[in-house]
Amino acid sequence: MQKQSRREFLVRSAAGVTALGLSPVWTPGAQAGEGPADMTIAKWAGPKPTSAQEIQQAAVKLTEQAIAGLGGLKRFVGQGAVVWVKPNIGWDRTPEQAANTNPDVVATLVRMCFEAGAKRVKVGDHPCDKAPATYKSSGIADAVRALGAEVVMLDPTRFRETRIGGERVKTIPVYPEILECDLLINVPVAKHHVLARATLCMKNYMGVIDKRNTFHQAIAESLVDLTRFLKPRLCVLDAVRILKAHGPKGGRLEDVEMPLAIAAGTDIVALDAWGAEVLGRSPNEIPSVVAGEKAGLGTAKYRSLKLQEAAVS
Amino acid sequence: MNARRGGLGAALRRVCQAVFLLVFVLLVLWTRPVPGQAPAGWLSAFFLADPLILLLTWLAAHSVPWAALWALGTVGFTLVLGRVFCGWVCPFGTVHAIAGRALAPRRRKPDPARDHWSPWHRVKYYVLAGLVAMAIFGGHWGTLLDPLVLLYRSTTAALLPAAQWAVEQGSKAVFDADLGAGRFRLHHLTDVPYQFLRDHVFVGPRQAFLGAWLILAVFALLVALNRIRPRFWCRYLCPLGALLGVLAWRPLLRRHTRQEDCNQCGLCGVDCRAGASGAPGQKWHPSECFGCLNCTSACPRGSLGFVWHWPFGPQTPVEPVGVSRRALLAAAAGGVAGLAFLRATPQARGTTFNPLLIRPPGARSELEFLARCTGCGMCIKMCPTGGLQPALFEAGLEGIWTPHLVPRIGYCDHMCNRCGQVCPTQAIEPLSIEEKHARRIGLAAFDTTRCLPYAYGINCIVCEEHCPVPEKAIYTVEVEFKGRDGQTHMVLQPRVDPQKCTGCGVCEHVCPYQDRPGVRVTSANESRHPDNQPIPVFSAEESPYP
Repeated sequence: MQKQSRREFLVRSAAGVTALGLSPVWTPGAQAGEGPADMTIAKWAGPKPTSAQEIQQAAVKLTEQAIAGLGGLKRFVGQGAVVWVKPNIGWDRTPEQAANTNPDVVATLVRMCFEAGAKRVKVGDHPCDKAPATYKSSGIADAVRALGAEVVMLDPTRFRETRIGGERVKTIPVYPEILECDLLINVPVAKHHVLARATLCMKNYMGVIDKRNTFHQAIAESLVDLTRFLKPRLCVLDAVRILKAHGPKGGRLEDVEMPLAIAAGTDIVALDAWGAEVLGRSPNEIPSVVAGEKAGLGTAKYRSLKLQEAAVS
Repeated sequence: MNARRGGLGAALRRVCQAVFLLVFVLLVLWTRPVPGQAPAGWLSAFFLADPLILLLTWLAAHSVPWAALWALGTVGFTLVLGRVFCGWVCPFGTVHAIAGRALAPRRRKPDPARDHWSPWHRVKYYVLAGLVAMAIFGGHWGTLLDPLVLLYRSTTAALLPAAQWAVEQGSKAVFDADLGAGRFRLHHLTDVPYQFLRDHVFVGPRQAFLGAWLILAVFALLVALNRIRPRFWCRYLCPLGALLGVLAWRPLLRRHTRQEDCNQCGLCGVDCRAGASGAPGQKWHPSECFGCLNCTSACPRGSLGFVWHWPFGPQTPVEPVGVSRRALLAAAAGGVAGLAFLRATPQARGTTFNPLLIRPPGARSELEFLARCTGCGMCIKMCPTGGLQPALFEAGLEGIWTPHLVPRIGYCDHMCNRCGQVCPTQAIEPLSIEEKHARRIGLAAFDTTRCLPYAYGINCIVCEEHCPVPEKAIYTVEVEFKGRDGQTHMVLQPRVDPQKCTGCGVCEHVCPYQDRPGVRVTSANESRHPDNQPIPVFSAEESPYP
């Protein structure tokens, strides 16, 4: 992990951003101190993008700025590291339908992983629909393969029953290849979900396991157990497009909104609390956020963290 | 024509057979869903070139897809060359040729019972007569016995899944054993071919088909019959062979024996897999001959050859097909009677509907469907979830091996319409995705004695999460549940909106119950049957519901 003072970081990112022709406006959070932030929120402040290309450019810039606010990916990705980028590729839906993570967000992260020195970047999820179809229609497989990432289809015979030592979930089949990576980057999309109220960072971890259809019977407790086992280090919550109703599979463009925002951070509960607000809910309404905070996985009061907000244009 | 040229011809024939068998297997393997790609029309090439399918479908359904007229090409070259389709092209024939050699080692001594024509050769014509008569009255059962269909179905439903099991279990065993040294693991090597097969050959993980044992048993039995006579199926039973035999009644290419050179040694018959001659070097039956050219290469004196025989020239006498009119009529009557028995069921009369008979979207109404479906298995091979399964008796004996959806095994993928696109006879209509979304194949219903929120007050609704209808055909209602201790708590109960449910079955598929799901789809409300509509469904504009 490379140490960087906040001043250094600001100078560097300002230089980099100036070179890119961007103009982020940083708003320090309540407890801003020395060192990189715990959480960043990048919001689009430019003219509303209309074409697919403009939305793509916005997604790329938002991702770059959200990561830059944390001190860059070098903070998380060691030289020669093997990284697993875990988007939500749950459904056979297109990017416009916002049922999967935005492919440009995922691709930008993959590129930044390589730039930060990663040796191999693997991208994969355990979809609800059939993997070949979801990987294709989500746009993620094609986008990341072009950057040199390995697109991994999880093999149903290779999950290994793993003791995760939770309070409700004692053992569950986990995909070993994911655990063997040096870093797991959790990149969900913010969506509506009838039972969990919202599907955000914690719920995205369900793509690492098998036999998950009993999770719903105690969704919050199960997600807490799984999150505690996986020890999140970096989550990037995609709210470029969000699904406001009929989630998590969606399908109607009327249910999709475009907040054009991305949050990244180390506190998974804080990110989920922010995601709840983006979806128009109070964090207290999301059982997994409440349970996660109670279990000490993080804080729902994300403004109490070292927070930086960037207006990107 | 001398012996050397004949030997060359037989070698050429073997190459031709090998190529067509290979192409057939490749077409089976290529019949798999590739995301973002519509299935190619040529995947069903063999079926489209099959005149038996053309004839029986046209007789039973009075309509065939234009592409099926390719079979007229097969008719054309059979009229000219005889049954060379059986000897040179038919992949099932090639399987029998190989099996015949393996199971009945060649004894070089002439054996009239094996080498020569016998009245049993006529059986296949009676089979054909019965099947054609059945087809005239709307029964399409004959195509179940088409050799190309038999081979396709056996490969798809029995042979390939068995091979896939071996590959998957083998690679898993290597992975689990975790053998290796340092950072190297043995599975790094074995995963290369395994992942190629998984990503480019197999349709989905752990694919398997219900009733594969019966399909395999029929296949194994037909192959084993080669032990009794080489190419037993092709000689005595095959209805396609019979149809081509009728067409090869007076072909332009005929076998000619120079009688002055023939010493009746019988070696031509020893090598004849068809038993096409009635006697050594004589009494050639063009409708039985596969044109394989074995006899011309076997003749030590070079006295046999195939010569062109122009229609208006002097006639070389050939043996007739030799069926009796009385037996033909009896066979036809048997076919009609057989259809009557097949149809004398409540389901075939349309007075009952089997709740488990969920046909793929685009399937025509049952009798229309049965009048076209060959039971070939292309749709079940194409199904990305593996949910389309060959029926055993869900559709009656007449509908054996026709496709039906078993949601517990796999659901109907919302964004897939491939079954209708590959169906060679359009028993399943080719639908656009939008048209498909408007078709209902069934209706989901909750079993409130099992569904967790209803029966036990436990939250679940995995079904609602997976429901692919954008407006959700499954919705939830929050209700109070009184527990054992008298305490009440709130629980989300799922409900089905019959106006929106398409019957895709994903709810049943993902239900946490692994034995009998708490939500099940039945064929109720399927679009194809006006009489199977318990709940009227209205379009969005005309709906009387709020």
